[in-house]
Amino acid sequence: MRRMMYAVLASALCMSFQCAVSQKLAWQNDAQAKPNEHQFVQFLYPEQVKLAAGKSTVVELHFRVNDGLHINSHTPTAKSFIPTQLLVGEPSGVNVAAVDFPPGTDYSPAFSPNDKLSVYTGEFVLRAHITAQPGDHLIQAALRYQACDANSCYPPKNAKVAFDIVAK
Amino acid sequence: MKRNHLVLILVVVVLALMVWTGVDNYRRRKAEQANLRQMQAILTPAAPASSADATAPPEEEEKSPLEGKAAPGFALEDLQGQKVSLASYKGKAVLVNFMATWCAPCKIETPWLIQLRNQYGPQGFEILGISTDDLDKDDKKKMAEDKADIAKFVNNMHIDYPVLIDGDSISHPYGGVDALPSSFFVDRSGKVIAATVGLHDRSELEANIKKALASGGA
Repeated sequence: MRRMMYAVLASALCMSFQCAVSQKLAWQNDAQAKPNEHQFVQFLYPEQVKLAAGKSTVVELHFRVNDGLHINSHTPTAKSFIPTQLLVGEPSGVNVAAVDFPPGTDYSPAFSPNDKLSVYTGEFVLRAHITAQPGDHLIQAALRYQACDANSCYPPKNAKVAFDIVAK
Repeated sequence: MKRNHLVLILVVVVLALMVWTGVDNYRRRKAEQANLRQMQAILTPAAPASSADATAPPEEEEKSPLEGKAAPGFALEDLQGQKVSLASYKGKAVLVNFMATWCAPCKIETPWLIQLRNQYGPQGFEILGISTDDLDKDDKKKMAEDKADIAKFVNNMHIDYPVLIDGDSISHPYGGVDALPSSFFVDRSGKVIAATVGLHDRSELEANIKKALASGGA
C-alpha cells in the first residue's frame, strides 16, 4: 500500500512539474508577453553577438513588419509623419556610435495614388556601430515606429529589442 | 499509519494543484483567443494593400458596441483653450471624428468632411475633430509646440470645424480608438447611429450623416 502511494505521489509530482513547465501559471507575469501581442513589427535577431573588444563593429539588427502593413522609414516624405527610430539604452562599457537605416521604399496608398510615402515593409535591417569593453553586456533598445495599412493608421508603438554582446 | 495519511494528503494536494493549473490554463487560452479575435476585428476593415481602393465598397465591418447607445460624453479643450462638450451639441447631428496629424488617410477624408459640413451644416450638422496627437503634459514648452503642430495642420488643411485636443483621454469609452480615422455618427438625441474605422468612401460618410440628421429629432 505504502509503495503504491509513493508511486502515485512520484508520478503526480512528475506530471505537475511537467504541467508547470509547459504552461503559464497564474502567478507568472504576463507583462513580458503582452507588448509583443499587439506589435506590428517584430525584432527577429540576433540574440547574441560576439565581437572584438574595443573595436567598432557593425551589428545587423533584423526586423519584420507584419503582412499588409507598412511603417514610415527613418526619413518620411512629410514632417508630420513619424519616422522609424531606434532608441538605445547603452549599458556601461558599450558605445553605440551610430545606427544606419535603410532607405525607404516608395509607396503610393490606394486612396491617394499621386502621393508617395517612404516606408518599410516586410523584413528590413538596421546596422548599429557598436564598440564594447571586454565582458558580457545586455543591450536593451526599442524600435519606435508608426504603422498603417491600406485604410487606417495606428498610434506609434515601441517594439522591444534586446540582445547580448560578448566582447573578447 | 500517520505517515500514510500524510502521503495521502500530499497526493490529494498535488492532484488538486494539477486540476487547478489545468483549469487556469484553459481559461487563459480562452482569454487569448478572445483577444486575438478582437485584434482581427480591428484589422478586418483594411483591404489588402494591393487591391485597396477608397472608392471600392468597404469590407464587412464589425458593428461598434456603441451603436444604438448614447455617445459617451466628453469635454475637451479646443486649440484656443476653450472647453467644448459634446452635450452642448444636443439637438444637432454630430460626427465625432478621431484623427491625428501623422495619419495619412485622415488627410484624404478631411476635405470631404469640410465639404459635407458646408453642405449639411444648415440642416443642423456639426463635426468635432478629436486630435489624438501626443501632448507632453509634463513640459509646458513642449506641450505648446505640440499644440502649435496641430494648429498648423488644421490651418494647412483649412479645417473650419472645431478640433479638440487630448483625444487619447476620451478614447477608452469610445472603444479604445486603435485605428485612425475613427468616426462616430451621433444623432440629434445624442445616440450613436453608426461608427466606422479607417478611410471610407465619401458617399458612405454622407449616407451616415443623412442618417444622423434624420434620427433622434423631436
